Amino acid sequence: MSEPARTPSRGPSRKVDVVLYLSAAVSYIGLSIYNKWLLDWIVGPAWLVAWVWGVPALVRFIRHQPVRPQRGPNGNPKDAFK
Amino acid sequence: MSWAAHQFEVYAVEAHLPKKMDAQVSWFAIFFGDFTPDFLAKFWVYGITINGHHYGATKPYQWHRGWPGMGISHTLFFGALVTCGIWAWKRNRAWTIGYLLGFAAHVLTDVNDSIGTMLMFPFSTLNWSLHTWAYAATVHGGKYLDAAAYYSSLGAVMDLFWLVVVLVSWRVLTAEWWRTKVVPADPFVWSWLGQWFDDRGLLAIYRSVFFYGVCRMIAWSTWAHVVARPVINGVVHHGYPYDLSWNGPWWVTHVTLPHVTPLIVLPAALSLLGFVYLVANTLWDRLETGSSKASASRNLRR
Repeated sequence: MSEPARTPSRGPSRKVDVVLYLSAAVSYIGLSIYNKWLLDWIVGPAWLVAWVWGVPALVRFIRHQPVRPQRGPNGNPKDAFK
Repeated sequence: MSWAAHQFEVYAVEAHLPKKMDAQVSWFAIFFGDFTPDFLAKFWVYGITINGHHYGATKPYQWHRGWPGMGISHTLFFGALVTCGIWAWKRNRAWTIGYLLGFAAHVLTDVNDSIGTMLMFPFSTLNWSLHTWAYAATVHGGKYLDAAAYYSSLGAVMDLFWLVVVLVSWRVLTAEWWRTKVVPADPFVWSWLGQWFDDRGLLAIYRSVFFYGVCRMIAWSTWAHVVARPVINGVVHHGYPYDLSWNGPWWVTHVTLPHVTPLIVLPAALSLLGFVYLVANTLWDRLETGSSKASASRNLRR
């Protein structure tokens, strides 16, 4: 399998990424200290994904932009890593 | 038991795979291998309380690591059985070897607490333990006391050690590593996820276990040492006291199971780690034929 093609034009901004990861960590740690049910092996990883992927996806949704990734020459997401 | 160490060791294994397995071992398999022992055994360790009635193990340490009990879930023997099952089912060496390495990492790390694991099961049901810190899961203390004890003892140092191992190999967390080494080892899973998630989301999935490890370490430590006001021997403390002595902390009851002398545990655990890597190395070449045939067969069916 060849490695996935780079898409620099769609590449996420590093600054936005740093902000997303840091805010995910701060919010998760801050809330979970007092709500320890959040310190769970499902909630923890899901929190990061929901924050880092979900927030930008929500912004795209509000702007009526496509939320699901458009991948591959035919627009088939399954072509992503072929 | 270990806490965030189990999250960090997934990335430590990924970063230190033998060269010939470079970009070919499934990261998901390493994760599931590392995750399986506690997934099978831990739910009943803390149990659940409904309407004031507690449902769970009466002796959590016996259930978690002992025999009879679910201690078998923390043995290399059980890991080898499941690994054989994965190979028989999928004929996929990326998953077979990844699972074996992840599982072995978990079992060998857990020899550090005062209960340890049955390393030589089924030949012996004695536990192998270094007694580095006290096993603290109890019926009344539950998860909170367990966390407080762990993050007040050398257990916290263990988490930090594994965190440093990952940070020294920081490239394992980069997008470049994920793109060039993790995705090629598991193209179908990542492409399937790629139907819904963009690259940022996929990368977050890959990093999420590390994120969870760091966050739970900080959150539990902060709670145990800043927020909690425990009463120990009738004295109210501002946070649980640290005790970085061997087999600490002093303020939890020390429990053990019949075990071998701790003096032989470290050399035995390191030898077994070497043995597992040797087996994985040897199997890697031998499984190639079966893996290729199964892959060709899958492609034909498509």
